[in-house]
Amino acid sequence: MKISVNTEIALTYLSSRKKQTVVASMGVMFGISMFIFMQSLMKGTNDYFEKSSFSSTSHIRLYSENKVADSHMLKGFLIDSSVKMLTNPKQLKQSQGLNNPYGIIRNIKKNPQVTYVTPQVTAMVIYSSGSVTLNGTVAGVSIDEEDKMFDVQTNMVTGNLHDLNRVNNGILIGKGIADKLSLHVGDNITVRAGIGSPMIMRVIGIYATTVKQIDETKSYANIVQAQNLLGKDRSYVTDIKINIANYNDAPKVAHELETITGYKAEDWVQSNEQLKAAFKIRAIILNSVIGVILLVAGFGIYNILNMTIYEKIKEIAILKATGFSGKSVISIFLQQAVYIGIIGGIVGIIFGFGITLMVSRIYIGAGTLKYLPMSFYIPHYVEAVCFGVLTTIAAGYFPARKASKVDPVTIIRG
Amino acid sequence: MENIALKASGITKYFHDPVTFPVLKNIDLEVKQGEFVSIVGKSGCGKSTLLYVLSTMDRDYEGKLEINGKMATGSTLNELAYIRNSSIGFVFQFHYLLPDFSCLKNVMIPGLRLGKLSPKEVEHNAYEKLKMFGVEDLALKQSSKLSGGQQQRVAIARALINDPAIIMGDEPTGNLDSKNTRIVFDLFQQLTKEFHQTIITVTHDDDFAHKSDRIIEMADGEIVK
Repeated sequence: MKISVNTEIALTYLSSRKKQTVVASMGVMFGISMFIFMQSLMKGTNDYFEKSSFSSTSHIRLYSENKVADSHMLKGFLIDSSVKMLTNPKQLKQSQGLNNPYGIIRNIKKNPQVTYVTPQVTAMVIYSSGSVTLNGTVAGVSIDEEDKMFDVQTNMVTGNLHDLNRVNNGILIGKGIADKLSLHVGDNITVRAGIGSPMIMRVIGIYATTVKQIDETKSYANIVQAQNLLGKDRSYVTDIKINIANYNDAPKVAHELETITGYKAEDWVQSNEQLKAAFKIRAIILNSVIGVILLVAGFGIYNILNMTIYEKIKEIAILKATGFSGKSVISIFLQQAVYIGIIGGIVGIIFGFGITLMVSRIYIGAGTLKYLPMSFYIPHYVEAVCFGVLTTIAAGYFPARKASKVDPVTIIRG
Repeated sequence: MENIALKASGITKYFHDPVTFPVLKNIDLEVKQGEFVSIVGKSGCGKSTLLYVLSTMDRDYEGKLEINGKMATGSTLNELAYIRNSSIGFVFQFHYLLPDFSCLKNVMIPGLRLGKLSPKEVEHNAYEKLKMFGVEDLALKQSSKLSGGQQQRVAIARALINDPAIIMGDEPTGNLDSKNTRIVFDLFQQLTKEFHQTIITVTHDDDFAHKSDRIIEMADGEIVK
């Protein structure tokens, strides 16, 4: 391999001052490994919270929303050209159900983005066992599809969730409900929806999520049971839950579905605003910390190269006297910065991976979270090296330019 | 008609610190190819200043400078760097070798910079030059480990690596004993006679000066003789 003379000089300078080279590289190394560590931690945490939020909410929920009355509604009564006005409009009570839900579902399934669609009947209920009562909701679902979408199985404490298909009046209750009403698998529970008649159901299983509020209120039943509870027919569906291939597209797809069906389609971003805010805040904290680290590393390189140039000023003058142009001198010193960046980058990657791996073994043990969530995501490593090398080039450029401006006459003649 | 290696006309230069005063006053100078010229004069007469102007390193002057028939005045920094690299070899009063490199590398670096020959050929040439000054045994030693005289000889070898048309020396033998001074002088003479290289040196050594082809004597920024 042919090495240019500039490269050769740069490498000799680096290797003749090993200590300084190592210190400068270590600065870059810390910057890069911290970058990787922080990014992995953030992505891991974000992924975890996203995943846990999707364990109870679908990407998109389609439901019928009450509307505020407006003057257009008067058109049906006053068919003339008079100006219609409505003062003090109120919410109009709609039927809670969706019209022709299975037709809508067939329609939604035509969208290529959609991966899962499942209907649900949500009923506000009062649970009672003995003399104790408890408010809550029953989600009438097809438990197989529910399991596919939200992985209910991982939350099961006791019982078999597929019994919901077999046992006629089965119910799967949250751990909070079970505790409060002291229920076990096989016990009976009385469930009464607002206007319907009370129904006696049998507990076929108990589940626990990390969210206490859900565990204390929500239970699953077969969709037919929920319809019976409300005294409605088989075509009564309150919600359609939809999962799509890439959940980041949810707002767009939700908008499309809204225009097709005419019902309200709420995406997960809308229902989890606080999650999105937390992501953003974490990203800002993280980026400022990384920025500071890289800045400090950059200053380290800047200082060391600056010192080198003061030390080597006579040699630079000689190089220029023997015919090295300003460009060559810049190349010599910039290359030193780049090599420091590359060495620091490579060691930084290894070190960053090591820290990430070590931290991912830290035991948390709260709810379903066993270990600190860390992600091992290749683009983080690529980004880290790019940032590191860019910083070193920026930090090396100014000393290098200074070196190129050395006037050989003033230096050599003293 | 012999070729002109270097032609300077109307060179005037001022020092501005602490007060503006002329160091070089309207100097005209022609050096023919193959000539061995010594510039002598008292300290402060401007002889070194003149040499740095002639070497193209100092650009802060008035007048015109031609090297090998090419106008150097007004050239860009990169062009001047190329002229110095290819056509001028400079020997300083102090050796000014790069201490982190071996002697061989020190000699090779200007040759590698020029890039006309392959690194192998440059290395071969560098060995030849070191042999001329009897320091080929030290080729692989780090240059900072050598004695002053040895370093100076390596530095002269470095000035010759690209076979420059003009060799300039600012008291090149100032740090050498009489034996080494004679070696260097004989070599310089050989270079002018056999290879038609031009040599311009500033020197305090009267013996050295008297043996050269032409003596230029300077006083108060002017050529006296």
